[in-house]
Amino acid sequence: MAAVAGAVPVPVAGAEAAGPGEEAAGAGPARLARLPLARVKALVKADPDVSLASQEAVFVLARATELFVETIAKDAYVYAQQGKRKTLQRKDLDNAIEAIDEFAFLEGTLD
Amino acid sequence: MAERPEDLNLPNAVITRIIKEALPDGVNISKEARSAISRAASVFVLYATSCANNFAMKGKRKTLNASDVLSAMEEMEFQRFVGPLKESLEVYRREQKGKKEARKDKDKKADSEEQDKSREEENDDDDERMEEEEQNDEEEVDN
Repeated sequence: MAAVAGAVPVPVAGAEAAGPGEEAAGAGPARLARLPLARVKALVKADPDVSLASQEAVFVLARATELFVETIAKDAYVYAQQGKRKTLQRKDLDNAIEAIDEFAFLEGTLD
Repeated sequence: MAERPEDLNLPNAVITRIIKEALPDGVNISKEARSAISRAASVFVLYATSCANNFAMKGKRKTLNASDVLSAMEEMEFQRFVGPLKESLEVYRREQKGKKEARKDKDKKADSEEQDKSREEENDDDDERMEEEEQNDEEEVDN
C-alpha cells in the first residue's frame, strides 16, 4: 500500500487558508466562492454556443463575479458620496455605468 | 423556472452581503440598486462566458477551462481581477486534490493506473475528471 508518489498530502482541516464555509475577515483574494456554483453554471449553460465548462472554469467565473459586484458597488458609491447620501441608489449605479469604460457592456441591459 | 438567461438570478442574500462588505459601515443600499447590481452580475457572467468561449474555440476545445475565463477577464479590461483569481484558483485546486486523494484511497484498484496519469498531468487530470462528471450531467442537454 505505497503512497502515490508525487501526490500532495491531504490538507488537515483548518490548516489551509480557506475551507468550505469559512469566511475570512474581509474579502481576501484567496477565499473560496460565496456564490453557489450551480447557479453560475446555469448561467453558463444558457449560452447556446457553450458545450461544456470545467468545474474550475465555473469556480473562476463565480469568483470573478464576486469581484465584479464589489467593484461596481464601490464605484457607484462614489456618486452617492458626491450626493452626500449614505444610501446607494439606482441612479448611482447608472452614473457609474455611464462613466466607466469597463462597465460599457452593461448599458441597456439593466432595464 | 426562468426561461430567459437574463432572468437567471444569483441569490439576493449573497449579492447583498458582498455589496455590504465592499462598502463602509453604515452605508445602505436601496432595493432597486441591489436588484440592479444583481442583474448586472448575471449579465457579467453571460458576457464573460461568451468571451471565454471564444478563447476555447480558438484553442479548438469544446470545454471552457479556467484559463479561458482568465483570458476573458483581460479581454474585458478586468486585468486587476486576474491576480486574485489565480490565487483563489490555487486554493480551489488544492482543495479538489485533497478530495480526490480521499476518493483514491477508497478505490485501491484504480491506484496503479492513476499513478502514471497523475505524474504527467497533475493539473489537467482534475479538469478531465471534472469534464467526465460534467459530461454525465450534460448528456441530457443538447447544446
